Amino acid sequence: MKNALEVSHLTKDYGSFKLDDVSFTVPGGTIMGLIGENGAGKSTTIKCILNLIRRDGGEIQVLGLDNLRDEQAVKAQVGVVLDETTFHDGLTAPQVGKILAKLYPNWDMALYQRYLDKFGLAGKKPVKTFSKGMKMKLSLAAAFAARPKLLILDEATSGLDPVVRDEILDEFLDFIQDEEHAILLSSHITSDLEKVADYVTYLHRGKVAVSGAKDELLDTYGRLVCARSDLEQVDPALLVGVRTGQFGCEALVRDKHAFTRFYPGLTVDPVTLEDIMVFTVKGDAK
Amino acid sequence: MTGLIYKDFLALKGHLSTYVVFFVIYGGLCIAGVFSPSVLAGMVVLISIITPMTTVTSDDISRWNRFAVASPACRRGVVAGKYLFTLLMVLLSAVLVAVLLVVLALAGGLGDGSLAEYLLATLACGGIALLMNAVVLPLLLKFGAEKARMVSMALFLVVFGGTALAGLAVDSGFAFPAPPAWVVAAIPGLLAILSVGGFVLSYFIAQAVYAKKEF
Repeated sequence: MKNALEVSHLTKDYGSFKLDDVSFTVPGGTIMGLIGENGAGKSTTIKCILNLIRRDGGEIQVLGLDNLRDEQAVKAQVGVVLDETTFHDGLTAPQVGKILAKLYPNWDMALYQRYLDKFGLAGKKPVKTFSKGMKMKLSLAAAFAARPKLLILDEATSGLDPVVRDEILDEFLDFIQDEEHAILLSSHITSDLEKVADYVTYLHRGKVAVSGAKDELLDTYGRLVCARSDLEQVDPALLVGVRTGQFGCEALVRDKHAFTRFYPGLTVDPVTLEDIMVFTVKGDAK
Repeated sequence: MTGLIYKDFLALKGHLSTYVVFFVIYGGLCIAGVFSPSVLAGMVVLISIITPMTTVTSDDISRWNRFAVASPACRRGVVAGKYLFTLLMVLLSAVLVAVLLVVLALAGGLGDGSLAEYLLATLACGGIALLMNAVVLPLLLKFGAEKARMVSMALFLVVFGGTALAGLAVDSGFAFPAPPAWVVAAIPGLLAILSVGGFVLSYFIAQAVYAKKEF
């Protein structure tokens, strides 16, 4: 299984914010979820991959090609959905298709039309009359119709209702049935990533806080719910972050299997990706 | 890259019909003797400056360039597309004016001037349009339409204000020193070299500027 995307030691320094030594890999046939709080560096990472901004250090390989040296060849194989729709307000969806057909060498107009029909965008209405969700659907239809090997999606499911989001997630799963295909999906909606992602990279303040196979992460981390007196007995090194409330405490356990060996009397619940994010931020704040 | 040019024409669709109406109205007014046909030649400059600016404005509003740079067109394609579109607009407006002038000539609306003189003036205006775009396009691509608009307007005012002032001065009896005959003879060639050379040089400057732009 070849890697669709390799980001190695990526660095971008804005002065007030620094994307610092970010590395992760997206194997072919998989979906990588990129999560993190606002301003954590998700969009900066994606912009570096797409060469929308200049990186200060590191290397990026897309489908075995250097993203700068072989930029055009790379971009011909990458479908992109940015965090906001970038098509002119006065254009209609069919016009957008005609424009993109001249930009993308593998453009599949029949597939584009199928998605327009499916998403209810096939009419002659201009983009300016579309809702946010419709605009996002248009961007997704365009990204799929480019017949890419790698899809890079920046908050692509935000603004979509749960039913459509579920349909789109199914499309993502279909897309990666081909082992040459892969998706890098940045999202705040961690429940979506729990449904479809094979790998997760969590960026926190410009650094990789957690990266790995999603199932392994969810299996390794745990959520401790206990009384304050119990928490005081626990070695803080085993915990990532703690939330203390009126009736008890919650904490993210770094290795739940080791933890239950040390503290068999305490209960460790399964975690969600959101738990990992929230508690990591809390641990960092402490 | 053809997709980018096609996109520019689609984005201009509403405006293009306005320009055609402009041409028709000015053509009619020239036939009626209200304006000199040389006004039509000036329209080449006006349209060739306004249309790239309009497309850059709509690109800025929709943030299209982020997508275009992320597409296989890349940065180089975006710049090349904008320059080719501008060149096409200069050519199209010059051809449209030339056709109108021929129609005017056939309708006997050219007055004292000859068709050849007006066609030459149209050609010269095409050259001036290229030269002005050579200055404006790198600014448009670097700073966007909003910031570059002031520079463009200033440039337009300098060129046309200067021409108008010179005309007024001549009308009021001021005699400019006559340039040597060889300078007069070389002006068309110099203008051609300056405008085409300036446009090509500007293209490479814009490529260098755009390569450093962040989105």
